[in-house]
Amino acid sequence: MSLLEYALIGGILYGIFFALVGIGLNLIFGVMRMINIAHGQFVLLGGYGAFLLSARLGLNPIFGVLLAIAGAIVVGLPLYYAVVPRLQASRDPEMLSFILFFGIAQMIDAILVAVFGADQRSLPQDALGSGNLSALGQSFPDAWWVAVAMSLLVTAALYLYFTRTRLGFATRAIIANRDEALATGIDVQRVSALSFVIGLALAGIAGVFVPYLLGSISPDIGNELTTTSFAVIIIGSLGNPLGTIIGGLVFGIGTLFMQTFLPSWSNMVPYALLVIIVLLRPAGLLGRAVRVT
Amino acid sequence: MTVSRPTWLVAAAVIIFAGLAAIGVYRPAHAAAPPSVIKIGTLYASSGTFAVASQGQYQGLQYWASLVNKDGGVYVKAFNKKIPVKIIAYDDQSSTTTATTLYNQLITQDKVDVLIADFGSVLTSVAIPLAAEHHMLLIDPTGSGANFFTKKTDYLADVSIPSSAVWPVPLAQFILAQKLKRVAILYDSNDFDASQAETLKSVLGQGGVTPVYYNGVPTTESNYAVLLHTIAATHPDAVLEFGYAPNDIAFLRDLTSSGLHFNMTFTIFPGQLISLITKNVGAKALAYTYTYPTPPLVRYPHVTTGMNTAEFVQAFTAANKVAPNFLNAAGYNNGLIVGEMLARAPQFTQLDFHSALMAMSGSTTTLLGAFKINENGAQLGELLPVAQIVPEGTANKFVVVYPQDKATGKAVYPAPQQ
Repeated sequence: MSLLEYALIGGILYGIFFALVGIGLNLIFGVMRMINIAHGQFVLLGGYGAFLLSARLGLNPIFGVLLAIAGAIVVGLPLYYAVVPRLQASRDPEMLSFILFFGIAQMIDAILVAVFGADQRSLPQDALGSGNLSALGQSFPDAWWVAVAMSLLVTAALYLYFTRTRLGFATRAIIANRDEALATGIDVQRVSALSFVIGLALAGIAGVFVPYLLGSISPDIGNELTTTSFAVIIIGSLGNPLGTIIGGLVFGIGTLFMQTFLPSWSNMVPYALLVIIVLLRPAGLLGRAVRVT
Repeated sequence: MTVSRPTWLVAAAVIIFAGLAAIGVYRPAHAAAPPSVIKIGTLYASSGTFAVASQGQYQGLQYWASLVNKDGGVYVKAFNKKIPVKIIAYDDQSSTTTATTLYNQLITQDKVDVLIADFGSVLTSVAIPLAAEHHMLLIDPTGSGANFFTKKTDYLADVSIPSSAVWPVPLAQFILAQKLKRVAILYDSNDFDASQAETLKSVLGQGGVTPVYYNGVPTTESNYAVLLHTIAATHPDAVLEFGYAPNDIAFLRDLTSSGLHFNMTFTIFPGQLISLITKNVGAKALAYTYTYPTPPLVRYPHVTTGMNTAEFVQAFTAANKVAPNFLNAAGYNNGLIVGEMLARAPQFTQLDFHSALMAMSGSTTTLLGAFKINENGAQLGELLPVAQIVPEGTANKFVVVYPQDKATGKAVYPAPQQ
């Protein structure tokens, strides 16, 4: 029973964190209908940013969250205006975005190897707390709780943005129907650019905590983070950022249950869940159809 | 038209000769004239899971080639002269798919004379059938998966690391000698780690110990929190984790942050890449853990070919401004073995190369220890002892605890809680 409880609570925590990892990808897809296949690499950039702050400046890696937001603005806005309007004017923006962001992913990988080398990098183990916190008698490292708190904070902020701000209403309108939003006078490019920056910032923020949840970061794990993120958002609901929470929870609980009782098969979980969801509920657990053929 | 008998015989001979050449049994490529360079083909990974280890191994091979070429080349008995070596290397990015294509290119397009695999069992596994198909001897530096060596072959030789079928034997014997009864084994599901775990389980079983936990995880596993908790529930005396360096880092970090404590914890890669592991998990997290110490941590002063371990450390450090690790030593050792093989092979053919290696087996000692391969290509020498990492000031030192004849101290068991 203890193992079951530990796997369940661990799965919830792990899942909430992976919702943060995936939510930026879902926001960008929802608003722009573009597949950011470089998402995992942007997550890594957040992790390496925190590493630089910690190793070079001696700062607590949590400041990497601020660096991720600043980095997303500095990198995201020029990147958006350089490529996205052109892609959206093309015949097949989804496929072209796939190819373009694949190229960006390869570039980021190459830059990370050139700058940091191919080996693993970690953050100071006690920077986010050196103890363990318990819930229902099951204890987990402090860093897990900090990562989960940040995930919940960011998700709450995103929810408030969607439901309480004019830009948030506009973003939801674009997610619902881009053409209608354009017809009602919403500045789609401006809102999309902001969403793109927010999406990258969310990825970078998640990256700060990756070394604590996954042991270390190295340039080779970007693609794996992208595919896991895809699984999470498809399980939840592709195009519905808040549905990512549900996707993350299903993924986290499923993975840690498998690790507990059938560890050899644990990495199959996200993809098995993805196949099942696509077959039974193609729009995801909380979703509605996002593509019209 | 009639065909005279001598003409028919000549035609038949040509067909048979062409057939033999096509399947590679007869490889006359360099029999007539010595080549201007000996082409050594290999792969390395600039990125991906195996990048750090692979680049270390490649760097060691390059170092050997630079030394040999400074001396006019490698002595090739078949031509009775020294010939410079040229390394042809491609980047497989730790991908077995890319590696398959590139091994094929080395064999069929570059027509290398000597084929050396990339680091580790995963990237070696795809080279083995290709080499056999093309009748090329594969020099296998660090691919130790026991299932590679299940039948007699002329086309495979594990040269720089013990086969996984014998590698964990000293570790199992140590556990039995310590009279530990409750052993937990967690391994990555790949040729290298799974066969080590299997061997360990088998030897422990012969000593009457059945693991209380025995499970595989994906090689990409990076979160051990729940796994450690599950293992702790079995109340083990010893926890042995078989993985690659990224797995060991994640495992040791999660163990530290979990607050769990085991009387004995074992991982593989601190013994090979101590600075990488220390950098990522910290010296404190490694204190009192166990590993296989590899050269240069273990030193062999008496060698029959090349530099001994201490000389290599000194020379490599002087040349590269950085102290070598095991993978550098393994890469250099590959070169040594190839050099000795070329110096002994009477003909410049792959079969003669293999015969030369078999002749070297049992009579050759390098900086990695005794070179001893069997007819299946498995390395049975170069056995690695068991060491415990013990705190010394703010750093750690390695204390060899088994076997007795190599021991430099006694194991601290149970490990003190940090």
